[in-house]
Amino acid sequence: MANMNLYSRGDKFFVRINMVLVGLFTLATLYPFIYIAAVSLSSGMAARSGVVVLTPVEATFAAYQQILVDPDFWNSYLNTFIYTIGGTIMSLLLVIPAAYALSRPQLIGRRFWNLMVAFTMWFNAGMIPFWLNMRDLGLLDSYFGIIIGFAVNAFNIILLRNFFESIPRSFEEAARMDGANEFQVLWKVFIPLSKPAIATITLFCVVARWNGFFWAMILLQDEGKIPLQVYLRKTIAELSDDHEFSSTLLSSLYSAETVNAAIIVCSIIPVLLFYPFIQKYFNKGILLGGVKE
Amino acid sequence: MSGVTLEKIVKSYGKIEVVHGIDLVVAEKEFVVLVGPSGCGKSTTLRMVAGLEEISAGRITIDDRVVNEVAPKDRDVAMVFQNYALYPHLNVKENIAFGLRIRKESKANIEKQVAEVAEILGLTEYLERRPADLSGGQRQRVAMGRAIVRHPKVFLFDEPLSNLDAKLRTQMRAEIKRLHKRLGVTSIYVTHDQVEAMTLADRIVVMCDGRIEQVGTPMDLFNHPKNLFVASFIGSPPMNQIQAEVEASGDKLFAKFGAHRLELPMLHELGANDHGRKVTLGIRPEHIMTQADPDTDAIEVELDLIETLGSEALLHTTVMGKPFVVKTETRGDLSHLENVRALHFKPDMLKVFDGVNGDVFDHPERLK
Ligand SMILES: Nc1ncnc2c1ncn2[C@@H]1O[C@H](COP(=O)(O)OP(=O)(O)O)[C@@H](O)[C@H]1O
Ligand SMILES: [Mg+2]
Repeated sequence: MANMNLYSRGDKFFVRINMVLVGLFTLATLYPFIYIAAVSLSSGMAARSGVVVLTPVEATFAAYQQILVDPDFWNSYLNTFIYTIGGTIMSLLLVIPAAYALSRPQLIGRRFWNLMVAFTMWFNAGMIPFWLNMRDLGLLDSYFGIIIGFAVNAFNIILLRNFFESIPRSFEEAARMDGANEFQVLWKVFIPLSKPAIATITLFCVVARWNGFFWAMILLQDEGKIPLQVYLRKTIAELSDDHEFSSTLLSSLYSAETVNAAIIVCSIIPVLLFYPFIQKYFNKGILLGGVKE
Repeated sequence: MSGVTLEKIVKSYGKIEVVHGIDLVVAEKEFVVLVGPSGCGKSTTLRMVAGLEEISAGRITIDDRVVNEVAPKDRDVAMVFQNYALYPHLNVKENIAFGLRIRKESKANIEKQVAEVAEILGLTEYLERRPADLSGGQRQRVAMGRAIVRHPKVFLFDEPLSNLDAKLRTQMRAEIKRLHKRLGVTSIYVTHDQVEAMTLADRIVVMCDGRIEQVGTPMDLFNHPKNLFVASFIGSPPMNQIQAEVEASGDKLFAKFGAHRLELPMLHELGANDHGRKVTLGIRPEHIMTQADPDTDAIEVELDLIETLGSEALLHTTVMGKPFVVKTETRGDLSHLENVRALHFKPDMLKVFDGVNGDVFDHPERLK
């Protein structure tokens, strides 16, 4: 902790309250993770009777053994990777140039285009027309349909556009004088300067894609193409419907609860691994030293 | 000839015209400084030469080629920006090499050129550093290195020193001058600082409100300002001004103000029939004497303040209710200055300006 002697009495009080609140918030965020991990490692009986609070009760890997042998689990896991990586790359490919174009004063009809992009944040066609549209485009039950269908997000465009707008004009001008064309200005100057913003939208895309459930469920009939989230729902449904399964519950070390928890843990791990990798780009002051205002 | 010619250059933003038809010829290897108060259109003019702003009307020629429709990168000019615009994600070497890389020069050639430029600018030790880890002066040098390395036909500078502290500014000013001597590249330099203009320029272009007031060598502008604006802009401290009335008496003309009367120099454009005409007297602080001399007129003043600069001192007085500054030598001692009660003027040292439009009388260009 910073040296508290530098704070006045009132400030000290404020700092302490702050720390308590931040601590509570951290716990509130962390606890569900701990709980799910504990449940996934507990026995079916313990999970069902609700005695798991913080640590596994009657610890066992039974739930994991159950899902890790299911080829559908691995297949949906792979699908989630395909949708996440493909979707994120597609998003960046579309969002970055769009944001750049919209940020340039020389774009003809700039206000109009910006309005059109923002418009999609307030109004959209709704579920049925969207589904019909995807059907007519032949994008139902298709990897490409999922990847392209949700690649452009107005919020991300506007976020990045604002960041591009905040980059002093002289960078663009210096690059132009140096002989760069529009594409090179974007690629060699604006993108490197926008790493924090691009990291942010990358994270948004990755998380949205990784957790993407609703549209995947609506648009994908083929079980070979469903992502992990849809697989999770399917398993929940199957396990709770399965009477045979319920009757053998007493003799079994896993239950619907523990299997679900295990799937959730498996689905969280890659995101947890991904975040530290991208975190270094969230540092501020990337423009430091380049210009002096 | 790699000079730059501006013919009747106009710039409008929408309906607002900010540059009103500028004519200027910059000779090959010349160092021309555009100077004027903030907002007078210097940057706009420079940026039109660079190709960063469209030209609303008129013609710009670089090296005998009309460049109105030529993209910045194809004009063969390089620009140093006020805020440097160094690429923060690249180190010094990569910053300097950026333009060469874009132009797909060979690796060996890039290495050689960058090393050469770094040597000239004293950046050799810093090639691996990022801009954030450089001092202001070093960043400034990198910005220049980026311009030099391309061997452009013309250098354009937009207030390159205005972000440096006074000492560094003086130092970099000298460096720019040396660099220009060494490389001999045609340069156009924008500043609002008349000292920079005076020290750097082969020729100065004084601008005001989107127009050129006067073009000339630093000494030309200092000795023969065309009007009050130029007279008050060039020189530091600025020229003193006194509102006065012409009085013809015998075959001589005098300027009358308050209870004072000063003899005016002989002028072709001012005569006995100008009796009663309003004029403005312009007197440079360094042209006023604190001691009587055979052919001087004197006015009595009270000293408000003495500012010492070392070998010189500024005497602050008040004439006709306005500040009036005298620059004089101290000869290492202030005591003789503290007793100054009168200022002495030689007629030859007075500039006389029209009281209405501010034009100087007897400007040598008009008399020819
Ligand atoms: N993009 C622009 N749109 C409208 N007016 C502008 C623009 N850029 C400059 N101006 C105006 O043009 C005038 C000259 O500006 P500038 O050339 O930057 O002046 P200086 O460099 O001499 O300080 C100013 O009045 C300024 O407000
Ligand atoms: Mg300017």
